[in-house]
Amino acid sequence: MKQSKYGLALLLFMAIPPMASVLESIMIMHMHMQMPLLVISGFLMAPFFQSKLPKFFAKWNEDGIPGILLFTLVMVYWMIPKTMDDALTTTSVELFKFISLPFLAGVPLRDSWNKIGSGSKKIVFIVFTALFYVMGFLYIKAPIQLCNNYLLIDQITLGWGYMTMAICFSIYLIYLAFIDKQESPIQL
Amino acid sequence: MSNRYTKIATLVVLLFGILLISIGTDGFTAFTAETARVNKLLEDKPEFPDVTFQDSQEREYSMDEFRGNYVLITFFYSSCTTVCIDLEMNMSELYDKIPQKYIGKDIDFLSISFDPDRDDPATLDIYKNMFNSDGETWRMASIQNEEQLANVLKEFGVIVIPDDYGNFAHNSAFYLVDENGVLQEVMDYKDVDAAAEKIINILDSGEGRS
Repeated sequence: MKQSKYGLALLLFMAIPPMASVLESIMIMHMHMQMPLLVISGFLMAPFFQSKLPKFFAKWNEDGIPGILLFTLVMVYWMIPKTMDDALTTTSVELFKFISLPFLAGVPLRDSWNKIGSGSKKIVFIVFTALFYVMGFLYIKAPIQLCNNYLLIDQITLGWGYMTMAICFSIYLIYLAFIDKQESPIQL
Repeated sequence: MSNRYTKIATLVVLLFGILLISIGTDGFTAFTAETARVNKLLEDKPEFPDVTFQDSQEREYSMDEFRGNYVLITFFYSSCTTVCIDLEMNMSELYDKIPQKYIGKDIDFLSISFDPDRDDPATLDIYKNMFNSDGETWRMASIQNEEQLANVLKEFGVIVIPDDYGNFAHNSAFYLVDENGVLQEVMDYKDVDAAAEKIINILDSGEGRS
């Protein structure tokens, strides 16, 4: 339960307006620090919800597929350049960011990850690796500004951030493919 | 899929996800805020606000100066080293593609600087010469009043972000305002041929009308 409190504290800390505006002032910090930290806050808060609503999670997310799908779709939503701009210009979208990332991405991720099989885990990794490569290329190569609220140089930085993550994921996937299947370490 | 509930949950999540992304992209039409901005402008068709221009010949006038003519507008600043040069080069190309009979009679060209501090008439005069603008049928002007300038940028959805080096990042397009000062078209400034074709079509049909 202590974890859940840390999670809530993290979420509240991130929501303090000056903190939010600092993290949102630079594109890569917005996308690759604030957003993941919001997911982590939900991840930490998950045990609270799991203990309050054990039946709900057992019944509706028995095999973890709905949860991991929800996580993926919410992440995809926030990768769209327009949604990131909207979060900066529209209050309701900004509010939705602070709700969706912890509760519709972080919580279901934690609940689902141990339920889905190692095959599904690999698929999740492959999907995100592919997505990150695509987003990386898009942000680096796009001749135009994709986000109106950020400078082009910020966009290229973010593109390389995506690329770095995608390369890390790739290394992990290659590593998985080469190690002894008996001792699969894919147990987070 | 071990039970019925997870199947239902999966379906619900899938529908929610599609709905969410559909809302976020205005029904899968706009993946960037810039596309959404242009879509919204074309829907709203705002009227050009009342402002006072100061052009390269130190003349001062409002949008009424162009009443009765279409006006092709771009937003720029002369100290710009990147996109504005392309933008104004393309505007020059576009100017050459429009039949002479329409120029000055049915359509005027106007480049508006959003950097009133640096773009005084003398600077604009030098800048206009670089693009073979005649200063008459293609004018370059700034808006000195800060409030008026901010209003124009807001109405026409031009977002200008100053960076740390005295430059501005901004979005660009060709804006076509009709004879009553109402925005009619927002066109891709990189596709001069398409823009020229569209404008000539509009002018041709206008000629048939009058």
